[in-house]
Amino acid sequence: MSETMIKEQSPAVAVGSEGVASEGRRKFLRKSMAVAGGAALAAGAGAGAAVAAPLAIPPTNKVLGRGVVSVPYGMPSKFEAHVVRRNVEWLTADTIASISFTPLQDLNGIITPNGLHFERYHSGAVDIDPATHRLVIHGMVSKPMIFTVEDLKRFPSHTGIWFLECPANGAMEWRGVQMNSLQFTHGMISCAEWTGVKLTDLMEYCGVSKDATWLYGEGADGSALQRSIPLPGAKDQFGKPIPDADSIYKDIIIAYAQNGEALRPEQGYPIRIIVPGCEANVSVKYLRRIKFTNKPLVTYQETRHYTDVLPDGKARQFSLINETNSVITTPCPDYKLNGKGFHEIRGLAWSGRGKIKGVDISVDGGKNWAPAKLVEPVMSKCMTRFTFPWDWNGQEALIMSRATDETGFVQPTLAQLRKVRGTESIYHKNSIQVWKVEANGEVKNVQIENV
Amino acid sequence: MSRSKMFKLSAVAGTLLLAGTAAVAAPKVQGIGNAISDADIKPWDISVFFDGENLPAGQGSVKEGEPIYQAKCAMCHGEFGEGARGYPKMLGGTMEEFHHAAQHGEDNVGIRGVNNMWGHAPTLYDYIRRAMPFFAPQSLNDNESYATTCYVLYLAEVIDDEKTVCNADVLKKIKMPAQDNYVTDNRPDTNSKRCMKDCYQGEPVVKGMAVIGDVAVGAVKKRNEAEEGKPAGH
Repeated sequence: MSETMIKEQSPAVAVGSEGVASEGRRKFLRKSMAVAGGAALAAGAGAGAAVAAPLAIPPTNKVLGRGVVSVPYGMPSKFEAHVVRRNVEWLTADTIASISFTPLQDLNGIITPNGLHFERYHSGAVDIDPATHRLVIHGMVSKPMIFTVEDLKRFPSHTGIWFLECPANGAMEWRGVQMNSLQFTHGMISCAEWTGVKLTDLMEYCGVSKDATWLYGEGADGSALQRSIPLPGAKDQFGKPIPDADSIYKDIIIAYAQNGEALRPEQGYPIRIIVPGCEANVSVKYLRRIKFTNKPLVTYQETRHYTDVLPDGKARQFSLINETNSVITTPCPDYKLNGKGFHEIRGLAWSGRGKIKGVDISVDGGKNWAPAKLVEPVMSKCMTRFTFPWDWNGQEALIMSRATDETGFVQPTLAQLRKVRGTESIYHKNSIQVWKVEANGEVKNVQIENV
Repeated sequence: MSRSKMFKLSAVAGTLLLAGTAAVAAPKVQGIGNAISDADIKPWDISVFFDGENLPAGQGSVKEGEPIYQAKCAMCHGEFGEGARGYPKMLGGTMEEFHHAAQHGEDNVGIRGVNNMWGHAPTLYDYIRRAMPFFAPQSLNDNESYATTCYVLYLAEVIDDEKTVCNADVLKKIKMPAQDNYVTDNRPDTNSKRCMKDCYQGEPVVKGMAVIGDVAVGAVKKRNEAEEGKPAGH
């Protein structure tokens, strides 16, 4: 970093002289300075030297900048080019049925910028013309209807800030540590302001039968992905009731806007379902059809995948809610801690069952805990930021966050989670993350096995 | 019309509008979208339920499915259904092996297949017809989809008889090995407590330094060991 800064600032030494001739003169000047200045200046070519020298006038003070609309759709500073979604090549067989991760280590808010929202495709992202796209609603309704995207925008609009999280977030860590990066341990989550039509408004409009206990949504992409979503009274294929069926549907919207602009193609443009609090796979993208039924499909995504194999060998299905989770985003393995002394521990907490009630921090491997401060706004099924002031003594530390939600659910340790889930369930790993801060300031992903 | 008349008219209209707003609730949401008949929806209404509802007419045999599978599926799922290049197996471990692995903390993810983690044959048909082959989804017609489903079930050792012809009735009657291996969500299943002080005795057993994923240096390090614990194509 400091090397880059010096490189960027050095032209300021010869401000105003841009020609080839002046370049030669500048080199000569510098040489003489080095000779005249002696060993002290030459040796101190780092940050120390800059402090001793009179402040240089930043070159940006002496030029005209870009005019308006030179970049019609604004992009981040070129110095932020490292803040990008990344994938893990060995995780999936190709990049079409794959996933990328949000760079949580570089973000300082609850809103994920649209270009950094994690991607999950089953058959790749498609570009759908909103003028020709249609949504059909049918099944157990009195009036089967077809809507254009413009039609949907005429309905009363509804907005919420909710996280979307792939239930495989953290999946690579069930058996042991694999990823030395916050982006890869927790980056299958993003949070945005979503705007669209309330499902319940559409249900009323189309006259959904009181006997309907399920709906499913289907996408217009190559996977034509479909997922069953429970309504009150929903039962599985064996007749067992689906937990949370009375509440899940109430928040659902058919979204057309993401952080104020149209959905991105990566997130299902022009329309998608948003099922707040639930595994993001049910928030079907590129939505073309909703059918109301009295039973679930038990489709591919509900039998072969998105089911959790438990230690007794059974596969748990319709585990829709993403339970309470949290992670410390500063410090994290992606950046080295810069010197002992004051640091603010920061992080994110979320729960698919409601609001975060509190987050506790431990810096001694979970023996002792103290409450962190929650940063407003604190909203249901939304990321919540937390902060905790920390005076790092420069020695090894095991730092952890533990979230509690408004239902009283307390985030489990990995040992507690493994005890009931084993190591083969892939999905819904919401255990407490441990970062080990080493004496040299490096931060490592570790696991505590015994508690 | 004179200017003064116009003003008076607008004033009257304004009064009426205000009165209307005060007296009446929000207007009913109506006049949006169009009705559509089931017949017009039919080409999109392709979803097949676990019990076989909405399976189409038609049929296809194991024998007819073999050339389709070998030409369009085998490059990813293996000539014998064993999986290839990181894509899913059709034939996974037996139900016994599947249970054993889960119960003994052994790799259960890598042995999954149609024969141990697929509850109902009709939804296999549904998935093949809607999303396969991967590179050309919805390119198989109904009969080709029956044939391919039939051959995959044969590869997965769910169907024994290579003379089997699959249709709606046959698929409905097949009992998949995993059919009864599912339980519905029973969470919360953890019982963590909010302990604040002296939460345990002794030292924490700290394990595992991550071997990959170090983006601090600006690049994702490739994994340099066997692909264990890989959540294949979740």
